[in-house]
Amino acid sequence: MKKLLLALVLGICSAALAQSPTDSAFSHIYVSVEGGEQYPFGDLVDAVENSFYGGAGFRYTYAENIDGFILVDYSYIKPVPRHVKVYGAHQVSGKLGLDFKWKAIAPLAIGAGFVCDWVRADYDEDKIDENSFKHDLGGTLTDNETEFGWFARLNLPLIRKETYRVGFNALWKELWTLPKRSEMLSMGVYFERRIW
Amino acid sequence: MQSCFKKMLLLGVFAGIPAAASINAEMEGMEVDSRDDGTFLVGSPTYFFDRRIGAGGVHSESELWSPEKLRYRLLFNRFSVLPSWDPVEPSVWLKTGNELGDMIYQDFITSKNRPDNRTPILEGGFRSPSFKGFWATARMFQDDHFSSMTRTARHKMVDDEFSLFGENYPMFSSGYAGLGFTNASVNASALVGEEYLWVFGESSRWIPVHYKPRVETRVDVANISATVVYEDAEYENRGEKEYGSRKEWNGSVRYRCGKACEGAVFGVAAGLAFRAVSDSGAVYTELDGNRVAWPFIELNIRPVKRVKAEAVFGMNDDDWLVQDSIEYQAPTPDGMGAVIGVKNISGTRLNPLADDVEFFDGSEIELSAAGQMNMIQSYVSFADSIQFAGIGGRISLWAEHGAETFDTTETVRDEDLVYRKGDVARINSWIKGVTGELWIGAWYREMFAFKALGGFEHLEGAEGEIEVTPAEFFVSFSADWLLFKSFRISHSLRYRSDAEWNLRSSDPLVVKGDWYWDATFEQMFPKQQLYLAGTLLHVLGDEAIETPNGSRNRMRFVCTVRKMF
Repeated sequence: MKKLLLALVLGICSAALAQSPTDSAFSHIYVSVEGGEQYPFGDLVDAVENSFYGGAGFRYTYAENIDGFILVDYSYIKPVPRHVKVYGAHQVSGKLGLDFKWKAIAPLAIGAGFVCDWVRADYDEDKIDENSFKHDLGGTLTDNETEFGWFARLNLPLIRKETYRVGFNALWKELWTLPKRSEMLSMGVYFERRIW
Repeated sequence: MQSCFKKMLLLGVFAGIPAAASINAEMEGMEVDSRDDGTFLVGSPTYFFDRRIGAGGVHSESELWSPEKLRYRLLFNRFSVLPSWDPVEPSVWLKTGNELGDMIYQDFITSKNRPDNRTPILEGGFRSPSFKGFWATARMFQDDHFSSMTRTARHKMVDDEFSLFGENYPMFSSGYAGLGFTNASVNASALVGEEYLWVFGESSRWIPVHYKPRVETRVDVANISATVVYEDAEYENRGEKEYGSRKEWNGSVRYRCGKACEGAVFGVAAGLAFRAVSDSGAVYTELDGNRVAWPFIELNIRPVKRVKAEAVFGMNDDDWLVQDSIEYQAPTPDGMGAVIGVKNISGTRLNPLADDVEFFDGSEIELSAAGQMNMIQSYVSFADSIQFAGIGGRISLWAEHGAETFDTTETVRDEDLVYRKGDVARINSWIKGVTGELWIGAWYREMFAFKALGGFEHLEGAEGEIEVTPAEFFVSFSADWLLFKSFRISHSLRYRSDAEWNLRSSDPLVVKGDWYWDATFEQMFPKQQLYLAGTLLHVLGDEAIETPNGSRNRMRFVCTVRKMF
């Protein structure tokens, strides 16, 4: 994974060196809503079920052929193991990244950035003693937990008009959790409106 | 960046190795965690060992008083930037981060060997734009990193969570607010706040200190800088039913010659630092006579263009300390530099402002030693540069007699922690060192600056008597990228060889050598004065304990949003 991250960074650097400096930051901004489904990968398949997500986004021009974006979405995630005492977990995921738009693959854009997930368990407070439960499966999530990670995404606009567009996002993220990293793939559709 | 880096490289001839990559520190004052030019061992935001290779002597930087540290915080007997009450530039900012490795969804499938819960940091604050010179500021900052390993032991000592918020027993938690006034000739501020601190004693014990309130006022006018601080500190050890308080006034005044001395043969500055305390109950330390005053003078002499001599001398009833150097700048072609110098540090105490006695487990620990230390170092530095590359180096020989150390007479184990008894003492024999550093730099316009550094140091004498046997060598590779003039990547890959704590436990604590990688990614919007940064710290390296009774130095991620006004 570190090699992949390094390759991504080097790729971004190479592309950026080819850019001519511009001062186009915030020359256009866009807001969007997005919904889709996310799928656990690797060991996480044994931990959580597929789940739906919904959220909002903010995109802005940053430099020539590069956009910045912020995404925030919510999902309710259910555990796979039946003996876990929590019903599920509320997840709010925030992402900050850059989309790179190479003409060779237009209109597809490739993006990457950092992600921060906030998670809190959904459980019956009357049935669980928080202090002793912390050592059971799912116990740490009875308190607010956050973890950071990174992501890469493909952003494919399907319908493009002057003031709005509809598109498809495929986003792969890795949270820096222990004892193993947690990987998820999400796929969703967005509707985006240009503000200016 | 090109000319800036070239200038920096040449400045390195006079000041040491050029600065490392611009990695954002997780908190102001924790830059040592990403430094790559020596031995930097972090056990807590409030306690670390920081010694640059080639600095001369066996002490760490934060142990030694100097006029530049007049506005630093005194944490037991060390000077520290953290927790910094330096008013920041007009802006509003928010910072958060985490030690990486919470389980999150792995919690549903991890029944054995469950990792410790990781802990966050949080900081937020603002300083308003100036209105007719007046401004307001407020800041809340708390670092929960490095807290988990000692949490159980510290939990027993205090009545509550000992922080402004949360339950992680952070090593410090601080908040202040205040007003200031700034114009062309005056810069003044008055801040008041509350602070929780865990400071590290010579006994290796964590001491909780609750400032309630802490007030700091500063005035810079003309060539005079003055600081006055009032601290109402509460001490407690719930387990032993010990409670105490210390009311302290401290501060300084410093006069600098300023423009009148620019380019002159002779420059002078002078000042006074002071502390006055009033203790009651269990405070765990004592300041002789409840007060200390430290007058000092700084001299700067340049008899000819190529010779520069500097000296700082301070003295009071109990101690004296002199730090001086003389340098000759050899004639070289443009773009080159070469310096031959001699540096000396002599004195009865590295930190004459610190307390004099620590009380621990029924015994007294003397925090100052009889006699004096003398350290002398000779060095040669050089640098050369062409259009887009440069090279530099520095070699030195040093010898120290009477180095401050600790005479450990007994160690006490309490569950996972080890404490010691004894006194601060001296190594009354010569310790000698030879050091060498080499750096290579390359840069391309504003986009790219690369630095490769390497250094070694060999010590002879007093093996096992030195508090920390420093690393023998390091290598580092760092780079700053500025892409499309608005996206910054700064990163540093480095290796440090073994270091060893000799005197805080019956068996030395060896901090194994390791590779580390730190990186900052920053989106900059210069026109809007907006900055979004994410920083990865301590990647690659093992999660090692780097100081006795410290917590593991873990991989961390910190992100910051800052809007300048």
